[in-house]
Amino acid sequence: MNIESVKNFTIEDYIHGFQKKEFSPSEITRLFLDRIQDLDPALHAFLTIDEEGALKRAKDLEDKKFSDAELPPLYGIPIAIKDNICIHGLQTTCGSRILQNYVSPFDATVIEKLKKAGVIILGKTNMDEFAMGSSTENSGFRPTRNPLDPERVPGGSSGGSAACVAALEAPVALGSDTGGSVRQPAAFCGIVGLRPTYGRISRYGLVSFASSLDQIGPLTRNVSDTITLFEIMSGQDERDSTCAPYPPFSKNDCPNEDDIKKMKIGIAEEYLTSGVDPAISDKIKKIIELLSEEGFEVINVSLPHTDYALEAYYIVAPAEASSNLARYDGVLYGYRYDHPINLQEMYTQTRSFGFGKEVLRRIVLGTYCLSSGYYDEFYLKGMKVRTLVKNDFDQCFQQCDILLTPVTPCLPFRFGEKSHDPYQMYLADVFTIPSAMAGIPAISINCGYYDNLPIGLQILSAPFQEAKLLAFSTYLEKRLLVPAPFIETIADRKESL
Amino acid sequence: MPETISPSEIKKVVSLSKLAFSDTEIEKFSLEINNIITHFDKLNQLDLNNVSPTSHISWRQPPTNPDEPHAWAGREEVISHAPAVVDGYFIVPKVVDKQEE
Repeated sequence: MNIESVKNFTIEDYIHGFQKKEFSPSEITRLFLDRIQDLDPALHAFLTIDEEGALKRAKDLEDKKFSDAELPPLYGIPIAIKDNICIHGLQTTCGSRILQNYVSPFDATVIEKLKKAGVIILGKTNMDEFAMGSSTENSGFRPTRNPLDPERVPGGSSGGSAACVAALEAPVALGSDTGGSVRQPAAFCGIVGLRPTYGRISRYGLVSFASSLDQIGPLTRNVSDTITLFEIMSGQDERDSTCAPYPPFSKNDCPNEDDIKKMKIGIAEEYLTSGVDPAISDKIKKIIELLSEEGFEVINVSLPHTDYALEAYYIVAPAEASSNLARYDGVLYGYRYDHPINLQEMYTQTRSFGFGKEVLRRIVLGTYCLSSGYYDEFYLKGMKVRTLVKNDFDQCFQQCDILLTPVTPCLPFRFGEKSHDPYQMYLADVFTIPSAMAGIPAISINCGYYDNLPIGLQILSAPFQEAKLLAFSTYLEKRLLVPAPFIETIADRKESL
Repeated sequence: MPETISPSEIKKVVSLSKLAFSDTEIEKFSLEINNIITHFDKLNQLDLNNVSPTSHISWRQPPTNPDEPHAWAGREEVISHAPAVVDGYFIVPKVVDKQEE
């Protein structure tokens, strides 16, 4: 078997293959490890490749000799994990030099659940340092390339996870989304990325960036795999008090096609402004026309505070980050500055050398917004605008079931194109930030290509309405039939990246 | 909102953040942070007087756990990742100078 033969596989297809003894978990793991070996020296999607652990795990699963009926739901499925999610015994660097040698002593709740379900972990993926960025250019190690065009960024911060799934170095991956870090790289790499409702998946073991916004989400090559992973990962967790006390998502709750067709679709003019690349807005308008022709009721809705969400986010998220990142002081774990003359110098030099530029910028910005005299001017205002953004969505979902928007205002950009101006980079998340601020679920699916670059469509719903959201996404995926990306090889250019 | 932050204010915030930058870096950071903060001015277009703040999204009263200790076998492993440990204690540079003792 070769890698091309699995390019359209779903998790279900792998499970059927295992049951019919067409291939074994060891063979599938080897297939992906070989692919990583071939592509990753140029792609740079992985920070840690756990070849030994993955092959041992595959063998252990085979030795258990499960009957078909007992086969765990993710038996033998290889997965890549973003490097800010803790896995016992593996490095968790968060893409930062300050955690370069940190080996996690415990499993995140999602990892416990996935391991119990039978996954094989291939390794940890690259990211913008502490998830602060939209391109992986802020990784403390090296940027990841976009497999569809190696001179362009894969998006971020979960750029390693998105790139490895698009390049088929892994069939599925996990990322985290604070302001768009799952959806934006999914859009840039032409795959599926889900940010669930805030609190739907436990954050225990996800290294904190902005706790009121952070959510773990799957990155996959099709909606079906997103549904499978989300079903396993969702649910309350006593170790995360922000995890919502609701039953886990069940795919059985997804509406049938008759009910999908009754869904009211909302379109917001605030998301189709002149600032959006016409290649993206034209594609989305065509999809809206198609849905109207198919009998869907499409209505115009308004989210008047959309334009203020980005600024509010860049107050709230750095404020929370400045507090969360206070823990990196060189005392308990991670990097420590050599030979400090006193305790103060140990703290300041450890942090100033250990963190990269964007992280330092956000710590300073966040500390400023929280400091005496500026709290009311900045942080309080940011929180109030957050209320308005959330109210917009509450009102919108009284009128419609789902909302369609672009994921990003631009197509994947080139390395260096936005990195010189932090604010330009922040604008890449302008359409993913409002829903993150409101805590509502949103998915990015590939709705077509322009000049071989993928275009992401964002579908949003009211909180905890993932069943509707995912059922509609499945419907649209089948209707659009956009092929998941596949590349033969990656041009090994710009090795200096 | 103040239109700009001065390098001396940045210096104070850098110190509050337990960071240490050179004067050149402070200058550079002042420019970058000011460039970002200028955009926050936009929020002044909104009347926020009667709006309550949202610090976090909670769908229900957060649940609580029973206050019971749990045994955890990871102590040795946790300590083994520290930059400096002696006899199971985390070691840091001396906190109090001799003269102050």
